[in-house]
Amino acid sequence: MNAVPAPVDLAAVLARGDIWRGDALASLPEASIPSGHAALDAELPGGGWPRGNLTEILVDHSGLGEMALLLPALAQLSAAGGWLALVAPPWLPHAPAWAAAGVALERLVVVRAGRQAAWSVEQLLASGGFAGVLAWPEAGLDARALRRLQVAAEGRSVFACLWRSTATAGSPSPAPLRVLLNPASAAGALSVQILKRRGRPAARPLFLSIPRPGRMTGVVAGAALSPVATRSAALAAVA
Amino acid sequence: MAGQAGVGVGQKLSTALGLQPGLAVFERAAARETQALENLACWAGRFTPTVSLAPPAGLLLEIGGCRRLFGGVAAIVEEVLAGCAAQDYSVAWAVAPTPLGAYWLAQAARGEIYEPLAVMQAALADLPCDVPGWPAEVQDRLVSFGLTRLGDLRALPAAGLRRRIGNGPLDDILRAWGEIPDPQKPFFFPEIFAQDIELPARVEHAEALAFAGQRLFAALAGWLHGRQLLARVCTLQLTHDDGSRSALTLRLAEPAADEGRFLRLLREHLARLKLAAPVEALCLQADEVIAKPGASAHLFQQAVAGEGALACLERLRARLGEGAVCTLGRRADHRPEQATLACEVGVGADSSVNSGMKADLDLASFSPSTATGAATRPLWLLPEPQALAERADGPHWHGPLTLLTRAERLESGWWDAGEAGTPGDLRRDYFVARNPHGQWTWIFRDAQGWFLHGLFA
Repeated sequence: MNAVPAPVDLAAVLARGDIWRGDALASLPEASIPSGHAALDAELPGGGWPRGNLTEILVDHSGLGEMALLLPALAQLSAAGGWLALVAPPWLPHAPAWAAAGVALERLVVVRAGRQAAWSVEQLLASGGFAGVLAWPEAGLDARALRRLQVAAEGRSVFACLWRSTATAGSPSPAPLRVLLNPASAAGALSVQILKRRGRPAARPLFLSIPRPGRMTGVVAGAALSPVATRSAALAAVA
Repeated sequence: MAGQAGVGVGQKLSTALGLQPGLAVFERAAARETQALENLACWAGRFTPTVSLAPPAGLLLEIGGCRRLFGGVAAIVEEVLAGCAAQDYSVAWAVAPTPLGAYWLAQAARGEIYEPLAVMQAALADLPCDVPGWPAEVQDRLVSFGLTRLGDLRALPAAGLRRRIGNGPLDDILRAWGEIPDPQKPFFFPEIFAQDIELPARVEHAEALAFAGQRLFAALAGWLHGRQLLARVCTLQLTHDDGSRSALTLRLAEPAADEGRFLRLLREHLARLKLAAPVEALCLQADEVIAKPGASAHLFQQAVAGEGALACLERLRARLGEGAVCTLGRRADHRPEQATLACEVGVGADSSVNSGMKADLDLASFSPSTATGAATRPLWLLPEPQALAERADGPHWHGPLTLLTRAERLESGWWDAGEAGTPGDLRRDYFVARNPHGQWTWIFRDAQGWFLHGLFA
């Protein structure tokens, strides 16, 4: 009964996101969102994808697993009731796959922005109502436009992600986090190189294992066992 | 400007035009003045539900009950004045404990708050006797008595005075002093909101309409507030100078009653609008309104910076076009092209949830292979299947494609064969395949050959 409570460091308590001083801003935006990959979280400042800052993901080929890299974070944001926006996506989103990944479809907004992608992203970021904004801006996006986007995102609890070509790796950008994606030699792995982050530079690329389709052999076997699938495989062989 | 040139009330038109040759002269239209007063009364609904008209140009707002809400009488006055200035009305005002007292003091352009009763009574006693609304012979008689101030009038024995000038003026004084009750006839906010204004000059640029529209939207916001409603769709009718009409429909992603939000949306629409002919008049109608749901506010204000998701999306939709902003939904169809549904944002959010749930149920009961197959659907689909080159070692897309799964047959679709925009009857074997760049694709083979259909991003 007479146990003395362990002394609590006040600074540590105040550093928590859900405790704030009465005179400070009430809603502290959570600093980051866990990426779902422990190895990546260890390398990212704040232990996850940053909120309220631009993240640039540089990738040339689609289909490497670049979306699958973000899906754990997006599903988490969506499950918490947040709105997600895809601005000027290069392909059509296929609803069953997004739903299967855990994204709430009624809060997934697709914006066909045409030539006004940068303006649309800025409005979405500044509105403060979105938990995640993924944008595929046009190739000629200059540093000034990027700076505007960074300013729009600052102070919001939004995970803002721009997809850009690897050709822009050499040009300066105001985004505090820049990540370069490449296919790894092993199937189902992705090489993630952090080009820029707040903190010391990252030395070598990370190799992350990304869930890939077709590796769950159970599904394939199930389909193959059904008479229709067997027949279709036979037909395909004939054709 | 006209005043500086010497133009004033009571002059002949020729005199005024002589002093200021460029003077724009308008005939006084009593009907339009009444209309403007009612618009203003609607707008005042944002401050208090108890508004009374005092024609020809007076508006009485009962603010005793709302001073806590706004943070004091001075704050209310400041907001009312700012609102009137934004709508380009010049105002003479006063705040007093009795309606008639406030009206008289406002007409004397006092512009002060007379808070306790005694302060107001002292101010009223100092007003001159030429109260508008009293008959001319009464005023003449008062002058002949040598009475110049209302205070002098009150000091005389009432019974004798009543015999001489009648009951009306003395009852007025008792009402103004707060000695007999003075119930006001409240302004009824109309059942249907439809208000029009004629523009003072023809407007040729769409952007310039935003300013004129401001009064209408201010009135709409006040009306919605007064009746505790939210608007979902409203229409701005433009009457052109050639007599034709065009309509601008503002569709909100979520029902709202916020003037600023209406105006932001209006500006986006106007920026895209090309006027066929100059505009002479505007008419605003609230087409779809719903009752405002009661909501409890947070005890600790969790201030969300920014306007919020739905307000932002409705502006994007206004600028980019109706179909450019949508959310996704699922349809119970096994064909990949048909499985995705574009839903309108916000409108019937509940129904989209329901239909989504229904689609899930349908999918689950439809066929077990489709349900388990959801794991091997790609996130991205190509708008049109892309034909692939075929070599000896199989299909090629940026290099040879390695098939990683066995075929998944998707077949049939006879029910919409031949309809535009549907794939119709199909017979395809889908595979997951990978190329040397490490790109994971979803390809199919049918009677025409190999096609790329999706990407496992």
